[in-house]
Amino acid sequence: MTTLTDRYVDAALRRLPGRQRGDIEKELRTAIADAVDDRVEGGGDPAAAEIEVLTGLGDPARLAAGYADRPLHLIGPALYHDYTRLLAALLATVVPAAAAGVGLVRALRGEDALTLAGDALSAAFTTAVHLVCWTTLAFAALDRLPRLRPGPARPWSVDALPARPSRRARYAELATLTVVTALFCTFVLLTPVVSTRADAAGEPIGLLSPWLWETGVVYAFLCLGVAGLGFAFARHYARWSVPLALSGALVEVAAPLTLIWLVTTERVLNPAFVTAAGWGPDTTRWIGIGLIAMSSLSLLHTITDGLGQARHR
Amino acid sequence: MVNDEQLSTHLQELRRGTVVLACLLVLRQANYGYALLDLLEQRGFAVDANTLYPLLRRLEKQGLLTSDWNTDEARPRKFYRTSAEGEQLAETLGRDWDALDAAFRALKGRP
Repeated sequence: MTTLTDRYVDAALRRLPGRQRGDIEKELRTAIADAVDDRVEGGGDPAAAEIEVLTGLGDPARLAAGYADRPLHLIGPALYHDYTRLLAALLATVVPAAAAGVGLVRALRGEDALTLAGDALSAAFTTAVHLVCWTTLAFAALDRLPRLRPGPARPWSVDALPARPSRRARYAELATLTVVTALFCTFVLLTPVVSTRADAAGEPIGLLSPWLWETGVVYAFLCLGVAGLGFAFARHYARWSVPLALSGALVEVAAPLTLIWLVTTERVLNPAFVTAAGWGPDTTRWIGIGLIAMSSLSLLHTITDGLGQARHR
Repeated sequence: MVNDEQLSTHLQELRRGTVVLACLLVLRQANYGYALLDLLEQRGFAVDANTLYPLLRRLEKQGLLTSDWNTDEARPRKFYRTSAEGEQLAETLGRDWDALDAAFRALKGRP
């Protein structure tokens, strides 16, 4: 007949390496039997005594972990900080980069905005899941196999303290960004009504494609710009956090991607204005290349900036 | 006021290393698992069985205890005894404990 003790010992041994089992089983059974005998001699009921002793020993999984000297955590304190730091840096850089890359390819193929946004988001999600999964696995393995660790961790020194940007420089940066955003929005919103060219009826010909207004894309684009400004303020006044950095990076990546998509699908300039101004195909092409180069630089800046910010946390 | 959970954590932290020293001192005379548990409790070192049994094996693995199976009785018993290395460690730890005790006394002596 299987007793509770048999079941308890089995449960504990199952979690131990084979070569330790025989020895530990003998010792554990003796210890349990001794403890039960002791209680029965004191006038206890044998069945109740067995339950009491096993309850006192606690979860067999914990006992086995003690015998095997196995950690009861996934990533211990020695590695935890390196783990969270690396993960934050990877998430803040690789995820936006993957989204930007996929978005760019889709834009160059001339996909519509919905497909583009959907594919970029799903690429971002898949990348994030992979990053979290593999980084965690790697660190859990490092925690269990110290032999794999690349030498002793670099000791911390005061040099690692993040530099504190002066208040004045931060305000100047924010003020410039605010003015530039306001001027840009005003310029874009005024282009349909204020123009250097007019049609036969004397009405101004807008510089930018009327399609942008018909579909509302222009407002979405300006919203991205304003949201980017909002995140710039949030970054200065709120504490750095992964969600804040990620959503900020997403917004900052979305604006240049939208612009690249608009340029590649020829939806930026108003063809009527180009004709009225007498611009040749070369002029419009160079304007397009200039806008794409600007967007790419902005993407690159977002990525390197995100990497730098995350590294200092 | 410190709540029960905090109190038990603090006590646990304070006593963590003392079980090792107590084992090394008590096991100058060979003894086996359950009897050792009983003896330690009588001598004022309350320790859980699920802490003590794995600890004995860990100390043995580190060479601080030696062990022998005694199969003369009905139940085979593994007897542990403090090794020379264990004796040395016990002395070092004991000195540290005495120094700490003296330091605490000095602290408490001055209001």
